[in-house]
Parts: sequence; structure tokens; C-alpha cells
Amino acid sequence: MPVVKLRHVLSGMLVNEAMRRQVVQLPATASIAKGINHLLKFKVNALLVTDAGGRPGGVVSKTDLIGAFYAGLPVQTPLGDIMIGPPLTCYADDALESALDRMRTDGVHRLYVTGAETTALIGTLSYTDVVALLYRYCRACPKSSSRRGAEAEPDEEGRRLQVREVMSPSVVSFAEDATLAQVIEGLMAHRFGAVLICNGQGAARGVISKTDLVRAYHHGVGLEAAAETVMTAPAVTWDQSAILWEALQHMFIRDVQRLFVHAGDPLRIIGVLSLSDAAQVRSGSCRACLPSRFMTPE
Amino acid sequence: MRARDLMDTRFHTLRPDHSIADAVRTFHAASVAEQKKIFGLMVTDERNRLVGMLSMYDILLFVRPKHAGLWGEMEDLPLADAFDELLQRVKAIRVADIMTAEVVTVGPDTHVMVIIDLMIKRHVRRLPVVEGQEIIGIVYISDVFNQLLKKFF
Repeated sequence: MPVVKLRHVLSGMLVNEAMRRQVVQLPATASIAKGINHLLKFKVNALLVTDAGGRPGGVVSKTDLIGAFYAGLPVQTPLGDIMIGPPLTCYADDALESALDRMRTDGVHRLYVTGAETTALIGTLSYTDVVALLYRYCRACPKSSSRRGAEAEPDEEGRRLQVREVMSPSVVSFAEDATLAQVIEGLMAHRFGAVLICNGQGAARGVISKTDLVRAYHHGVGLEAAAETVMTAPAVTWDQSAILWEALQHMFIRDVQRLFVHAGDPLRIIGVLSLSDAAQVRSGSCRACLPSRFMTPE
Repeated sequence: MRARDLMDTRFHTLRPDHSIADAVRTFHAASVAEQKKIFGLMVTDERNRLVGMLSMYDILLFVRPKHAGLWGEMEDLPLADAFDELLQRVKAIRVADIMTAEVVTVGPDTHVMVIIDLMIKRHVRRLPVVEGQEIIGIVYISDVFNQLLKKFF
């Protein structure tokens, strides 16, 4: 049986073309409070933690910080006590596809990028940066509907992907009076980036993301506080039949990492579209990319 | 010429738990009181020890979307109300969340050439002057410039 290889828009691209040339890092002796300051200030999901010699020692992600919050650690605790190491790395000239495969199999959301000198990190590769690359690809594509004009009749090839084809069809929700401890337990059990906060009638009122929880930890909010006191309201919602392109555009312009998806009633949420989900598709936002996704025997 | 000759001994400070709206109001009040544009303020704890600096740059960094690099290549984007949601999000954060915690400081006897060198190399336009644990003033780049050049013109 021949081994088949799927080709995508990203085939042939290198990590170098999608990575972000910024590594937010702190020494292992820096406090959790300083770590949270850096996460919020630079809008990153994880920090690189360096040892006494300035070498990469480990990573502290928002998930790790929420674990520290849940465990009741004071924010003065050094990052070195909660970091997980060593950081997973790839080379700047690795194929983007293989780096993405590695992220999926290892269950991580980012890889640190090294050059020839493996102890010096020159950037990070994350799902959101990959989606940003796909989005730019679509804009430059001659088949892009934004170039064809609204009056053109889209053929099947150019039919644009809809949100429902890419979203995760499950959502975890909590009541407004649920405690932060309960919310954290729910997030950890389902490995989600955010939960929905609903009122007594089950209607969506807001969202608690990992960022909201990390910020609450920094502000000294207790684990027994009610979910509604730290949620971001309203949740950003989107119709499942909307086209993926517009949803991505909204996420990039408004700087949101996920949209909650409904089937016509914005208060009844049926799924989540995150930038990570969109990165899994590895193709553009319309069917025109399908011919490039042919299968080749290897 | 040393830091003590250049520094402004009247200064305004923020607290880490202030909202960003409080901080912006303090920027305006300080600008009026000092009769010059003030773009950055020191952040002090309850014992008046320096714990950080907050500049307008830090606030802009926060309201700028992470992928703003994409904007440059798009002229057809609906950007009119794009900032509304981003500015809404500022309401949930405090000075401590986005301040710069690694503050470069000088002592009262630091020479003006060292001050200029620090300002250029570290990309800072104001330097707190600290003696022991106590803040005694702040040196602004505009004052350094005006003091130095008035000798020649």
C-alpha cells in the first residue's frame, strides 16, 4: 500500500515564514506576579523561563499559572517553582507542516525556534501566527472573493468555508454564581481555553478565558469569587453559517482568540471557533485551495 | 552637570491598583500642573517605593491588536469601530498589569553624559532619581536637551 501524503497551502513553507521574532522571557527567580505582568503586557500565552546563566530552562503557560492560582500559591512565588521544562524547540528552517505535526502530537500550542546555536532562541511559532499567515495567503490569492467582487457568482471551487466546518462543536458552560475554583476545574478537565458563563435560563452572558483567570490571580481575587465578577461580557458570538474568512478577520482586528458560535440565536451557543481550530485546517478560507490538497503517493 | 541639577523634584505617581482611566487622568493633571506634556509616570507602592513605570506607550501597546501587522496591507478593512472593543477591554486591567516593572534609575550624582547614554541605549525618555529607597526626582529627556543646548544657542 502506498504511503500517501496530503498537500496543503502550507506545504513547502518554512517555520521561518510563520514565526514571531519575539521571545518573552524572564529569569527563574522572577515572581509569578511579574510573569503575569509580562503575559498581559505582551499578549502572549506563555513565557520562556531562563536559568542563572540566561539559558532556556522551561516554560510557564497560562495553564500553569492557573494551576498555581488553584493551588493557592502566593504571587510572589518564583516562576522557577512552577515552570515546566525543557522548552520544545524546532529550527527556523524546518518545514512548517512538520512543526505543526509536532505541536499536535506533543499537545503544545507553541514551539520555540532556534537558529544554528541551539541554546539561543530566536522566535516562537504559535497557531495564531499560522492562521495569520493563511489569512494573508487568502488575501493575496487571485481566487479570493474579496478580489472577485460581491456580484460574482461563486462556483463550487470558490465556495468559501463556513464557520461550522471548522468550529469545535462543544462548549462548557457555568452559571454566573459558580466559583472560580469550579470554573478552573472545568477548564482543566476539558482542556479548553475558555468557558461560557450563562444565566439561569441558559443564555450566554459572558466568557471566562484563561487570560481572565490569570488577571484575577494578579488582582488578588479569591477562588471562591463568583464567575460573573471576573467574566468578560458579552461573549463575542458568530453565526455558524457565516463564512470563515469574515470570522477570522473579526478575530484579527478585534484581537480575540475565539468566537462562540450559534445557529441563529446568539444566546444559544453550540460551538467555539478558535484560532487554533482554524490552524488545524491548514488551508485557506475557500474551496479553491482544494486542488492543492491532492494526495500524492510517496 | 549631574542628575540633581537636571531633575524635576515635583513629580506625580500612580499606584499599582489604579485603573488605566485613573492613570490617563493623572497624565492630564500632571501635564497641566507641570506645563509640559507628560507621557510617563512612576508607579509606587504604599511605602512610596518605586515598583514600575507606566507610559502612554505601554497603554498603546495594550490596545494595539496582536496581529496589527496585517492591517498595513489592507485598505478595505472595516476599522471604523475596531478600537471600541479593544478600549472596552482596558477597563478590566490595572496599572500593575501592563506597567514596565524593570525600571532604569539613576542616583543624584549620575553625570549628564551617563544619563544621555542610558536614555539612548535603553530607549527611555525619563529616568527616576533614587537615593537609597527614596525617589527624589525625575529627569526628563526634554530638560536634558534644553539644559545642554541653551548654552550654545
